[in-house]
Amino acid sequence: MLNTAGLRLDQAPPITVPFAFFLAAPPFAVAAGLWLTWAGDAALASRWTPQTLALTHLIALGFLTQILCGALLQLLPVLAGAPVPRVIAVGRTAQALLTTGTVLLCAGLAQGSGVPLTGGALGVAAGLALLGATVALALTRSRGVADTRLAMALGLSALAITVALGLVLVAALQGCVHLTGFPDWVDLHLSWSLLGWAGLLIMGVGYQVVPMFHVTPPYPAWLRAAAVPLAAGGLVAGSVLTLTGQGAQANWALGLAGVCFAAFAVTTLDRQRRRDRPILDTTLLHWRSAMVCALAAAVLWLVGGRAETIGVLLLVGVGVGLPSGMLFKIMPFLSWFHLQHRQLAARRFDLRIPHMHGFVPEARARLQFWLHLGALGLLVAATIAPGHGLTRPAGVALAAATGYLGVLLGQCYLRYRAIARRF
Amino acid sequence: MSSAITDTFTADHHRCDQLLAAAERQLAAGDCPGTGEATAGLAGALEHHFTLEEETLFPELAQVFRVAENPIEVMVGEHAQMRALLADLHEAVAARDQAAALGTLETLHFLIQQHNYKEEGILYPMADGALPARGAAIATRLTED
Ligand SMILES: [Fe+2]
Ligand SMILES: [Fe+2]
Repeated sequence: MLNTAGLRLDQAPPITVPFAFFLAAPPFAVAAGLWLTWAGDAALASRWTPQTLALTHLIALGFLTQILCGALLQLLPVLAGAPVPRVIAVGRTAQALLTTGTVLLCAGLAQGSGVPLTGGALGVAAGLALLGATVALALTRSRGVADTRLAMALGLSALAITVALGLVLVAALQGCVHLTGFPDWVDLHLSWSLLGWAGLLIMGVGYQVVPMFHVTPPYPAWLRAAAVPLAAGGLVAGSVLTLTGQGAQANWALGLAGVCFAAFAVTTLDRQRRRDRPILDTTLLHWRSAMVCALAAAVLWLVGGRAETIGVLLLVGVGVGLPSGMLFKIMPFLSWFHLQHRQLAARRFDLRIPHMHGFVPEARARLQFWLHLGALGLLVAATIAPGHGLTRPAGVALAAATGYLGVLLGQCYLRYRAIARRF
Repeated sequence: MSSAITDTFTADHHRCDQLLAAAERQLAAGDCPGTGEATAGLAGALEHHFTLEEETLFPELAQVFRVAENPIEVMVGEHAQMRALLADLHEAVAARDQAAALGTLETLHFLIQQHNYKEEGILYPMADGALPARGAAIATRLTED
């Protein structure tokens, strides 16, 4: 029988909830760029320096997780027909905790000092636990496409495991617990965050939005059925093997998760090549560059390339690039959509609402893409040839690209607000 | 359970997606007579689809299934938004304003996508469940003329 309790199709959150997450993200990436500029080559010399740990968290938490949280709150009612309970209070509280927690955590990681590190880690954990639990609750009441709901559920579980592992690592750094094989634990933490939390969510959302955005053939059924559960299985197996001291086999299990994401990347590039919408827009360029980066990272991992290069490809190539490309569509559409509703409610049909390109002009989005690609190229070069003075220009380029992203997204919001005030 | 409504209406969504892509292709190429034809074809296909939903499928569904009233109201409201965008599109095409036409077409595309997603995922399966005897008859009306 159909489950129709509470069936409503108009329960998207107020626009300011997702927008607050989207607008808060770019400053963190700018901070990472400025930090690189200030620290110079030392910051990319090894993944184990305090500065590198702070930088990766500025991007992974400050930029990527911030946007993924906003996207979950926005997409869940649309993709899974599930309104998020108390979305304003939950969104605001979770974001405040996540944002202040990220600032403290990064400061603590850089200085290696106890109080901000612990406080920041607890803040981030509290914010993500609140948001994750609320979204998980909404997901249990959701309907719609099974594979996307499964990917969202597994992505949220991966987030919980990432946070738990992060807390264990902080406790170990503070000397509260003793971990044998500390680097293995760090690898688990980052595998669950990048391949689990970000990777599973990107796959689950990609199955829906890639065909929708550019009118491509659907993803093959076998991939939709297998990739997400296999990747999650690889992460679980890798974790069990690591915890039982079988580090070498664990690597292969984690590699399985990487292979699943690589298969997703190849399929995405192929679907987009066979798209019906002819226009090559900035969102498509960002998708392509992100999928190529994911594949390059997988190949480098297989041939034993430098971890710092793989990290840059995944964190900046995928983690900064892909959300940027998506926001260039999502924010203009939401602006237009919410203004339409205000216009309808106010019955002010004399006012004209600009179309999507009026909120983020395509030519400016394109310029942002080239800035991003330039920054990415410099960062990759700086990790391949460390000590050649490339890190500072790479940092400037990253700050410029993400700063310009912030300007474009900010202008989109200001345009929305200027029109909304007239209704 | 029959899935005649879900299957045929979803197939018609895909047909409209392709017509929109075709209009975009003509527009991007700056082909003037081709653009007029393609946008007219898109508008006709969408109007036929909306009319069958608004005059047949939705009223019949609402009669047997009161809980569908809110979703139907939302869907009909979005049809009105799409018709307004189609009017903007005709205006931009007539004025040979390529940038405005492409921006309007893209906005229409995204509105259609999220609209269809809700219909295909929720409303059509509900209609197939609620109108098992009528599904095939309504579905054939979509493909005729
Ligand atoms: Fe419809
Ligand atoms: Fe429809």
